[in-house]
Amino acid sequence: MMAAGRGWLAAAALGLALGGCAVLTSTTPSEPEAGPAPGPAPVARDPLAARHRQQAEALQRDGQLRRAAEEWKIALAIAPADAQAREALRALQGRIDQAVAEHLDEGRKALARGVHVEARRRFLAALALDPFNRAAFDALQGDTREVEFITHTVRAGDTLSALAQRYYGDRSRSEVIWETNHLPPRPRLVAGTTLKIPEIPGVPFVHPEARRPAPVLAAIPTPDVPRPGPTPGPAAPATPPTKEEFTSEINPLLVEAREALERSDYRDAIETVDKFLSGKPGDQEGLTLKKQALYGQAKSQIGARQYGESIQSLNQLARLQPDYEDAPALLRQARTRVIEQHYTQGVRYYREEKLRQAIAEWRVVLEMDPGNANARRNIDQAEKLLRGLEQRMKK
Amino acid sequence: MGRRVRGSVVLVGVAALWLGACATATTPAPVPAPAAAPGKPPPRPAAYQSEDFIVTFAQPGDTPETLAERYLGGADKAWMVEDYTGLRAFATGQEIVIPRRPWNPAGVTPGGYQIVPILTYHNLAEQAKGRLVLAAATFREQMRYLKANGYRVVSLAEFVEFTGLNRQLPQRAVVLTFDDGYRAFKDHAYPVLKELGFTATLFIYTDWVGAGRAALSWAELRELAAAGMDIQAHSKTHGDLRRAQGETEAQYARRMQAELEQPQELFKRHLGRRSPVLAYPYGRWEEGLLPKVKGYGYVAAFSVRRQGNASFVRPLAAHRSQIYSEMTLDDFVKNLNVFQEENLR
Repeated sequence: MMAAGRGWLAAAALGLALGGCAVLTSTTPSEPEAGPAPGPAPVARDPLAARHRQQAEALQRDGQLRRAAEEWKIALAIAPADAQAREALRALQGRIDQAVAEHLDEGRKALARGVHVEARRRFLAALALDPFNRAAFDALQGDTREVEFITHTVRAGDTLSALAQRYYGDRSRSEVIWETNHLPPRPRLVAGTTLKIPEIPGVPFVHPEARRPAPVLAAIPTPDVPRPGPTPGPAAPATPPTKEEFTSEINPLLVEAREALERSDYRDAIETVDKFLSGKPGDQEGLTLKKQALYGQAKSQIGARQYGESIQSLNQLARLQPDYEDAPALLRQARTRVIEQHYTQGVRYYREEKLRQAIAEWRVVLEMDPGNANARRNIDQAEKLLRGLEQRMKK
Repeated sequence: MGRRVRGSVVLVGVAALWLGACATATTPAPVPAPAAAPGKPPPRPAAYQSEDFIVTFAQPGDTPETLAERYLGGADKAWMVEDYTGLRAFATGQEIVIPRRPWNPAGVTPGGYQIVPILTYHNLAEQAKGRLVLAAATFREQMRYLKANGYRVVSLAEFVEFTGLNRQLPQRAVVLTFDDGYRAFKDHAYPVLKELGFTATLFIYTDWVGAGRAALSWAELRELAAAGMDIQAHSKTHGDLRRAQGETEAQYARRMQAELEQPQELFKRHLGRRSPVLAYPYGRWEEGLLPKVKGYGYVAAFSVRRQGNASFVRPLAAHRSQIYSEMTLDDFVKNLNVFQEENLR
């Protein structure tokens, strides 16, 4: 585009380049000006490949094995002679193969037990790790039935075996409900939460309401139903469905909020549950729902790359329960992403010569992450350039 | 920005190379092209390549199309660049990783899986009339929406390969279908599709072909096929293919012979090939029908259940979403979900 006729700026740029960054200096040859090496130049390759290696390691730590394998391959595309990367990829591939084999095995066992929901989840997990896996694909497509669910809202007194009796006419099917909902051993069912009651191929639903849309209104507890027991074992006698079963006990606002949550409309769910909570502060069911909604909202915001918003949701959630599921990890992840976004935006501005804006972005990085040496160094460099430019302008 | 200051932009760009490299490791940061100044370290090659990936650096004006042209042998592969990088525009010098071959044919990721919406239209006219006659302007608006929002219309044949784990589809793949075989397709839909470079499948029921002014003729269907449109079967009479109450096995077999085999013979006679795909009339089917459908040589068949299709959908029980004339653009967009979230970790 243009010859490099502005010596001072070129020098400044080079200075910045040699300033490098802390992360990379360990992998960058200490003498970048070394004479031309035979074959591909390590100087040009290393920082580039190093970034992919680091990314691979980070993904691997985060359990994202397939993406990690891709990053190793990308690093190797840049630096094919990197024996360490090659070994890391080989080891990772072994781990992936093993995990896939486990999922396949568990999936087949679940099929044999007739638990299609679990089988489906296992085969899908295998495909998520290896999207070329023919065995998982064929099992999913050919052997695994699309399963219809009923959504059951737990009411006081529900036990898994009572639910199995009620929906399948067979209390020994409680295992299927337990497994489908990934419940802990000996679960205590909480009134107001929802359970998926899957159709079992070959076992027709016996509950007359089973074919209707999810019964969202729970029943008035009948006196002959025991309190929720700690064991899913045989406990509750079957309660024949009565008319009152579908009369309302739960506050309609709560029902509305739960419905909003089920269709992933988190904002609506939160607004509605807040309305409910303003009338019944501290209500456990309301709070549980609110936490679910905030968590769901945060996850969907992260999915949509709205990291700033997700931080707000997660902070709200942390005020209710700091250790909710993996919320702390999500918060860290979102913060890292926001920092990255500001950092990258700074780089973008810098490249567009908008030095002041670039500095502002990096200052935000420093506010969020005061130890960020790269941002600090970039600011110093940008300020130096700015002063130089100003002096030039004066002349 | 004037020409005078551009030199320093370039140089600041060089500096940004290293700044970019310092960004935290979880997202690839943009890396500009090297300055070919004398006395500097040896210049980087234009691209690093392995059998799986190409790592290159955006040149001024690069788009997914130009990169696909340069590295993947054709602009039609632009979706690979776009889907893998998650970007549709690049800064000059930015590092770009291009996969050289499919990397996720099943479309399954730890966060969920790809679903492909298949849209179903019927008749079109200047003005909407009833649910199934869509106003031409509405159709045009919907197609432009697809184009403007990065959806990629793929052929039904490509979709069928996707359901066999034999083809990766773009993340925002959509299929367009038109039922029955109305002449209005030629007047109102085809010009829009042609303008936007989209393809579509016509599902025709053979009793209707050439049956009056509103119906397409075999000659017209041949022309449309030659112009890149796909023609498939929608039965002979548009009758419900499920076994009727009181119908004996023999009667049902005879009826299915007519509904499923006669279209195949007519396709061979008029289009020179059989029809591998079927749209169930009224979208209705039942388990007992599937072996018959398969037996008459269909490899995929479609209901009108309003949902997208995962790669692992049963191909003889795949879904389509009907687009009705009263739908607003917002309603239309609700049929374009291309990803089903599900935690699979």
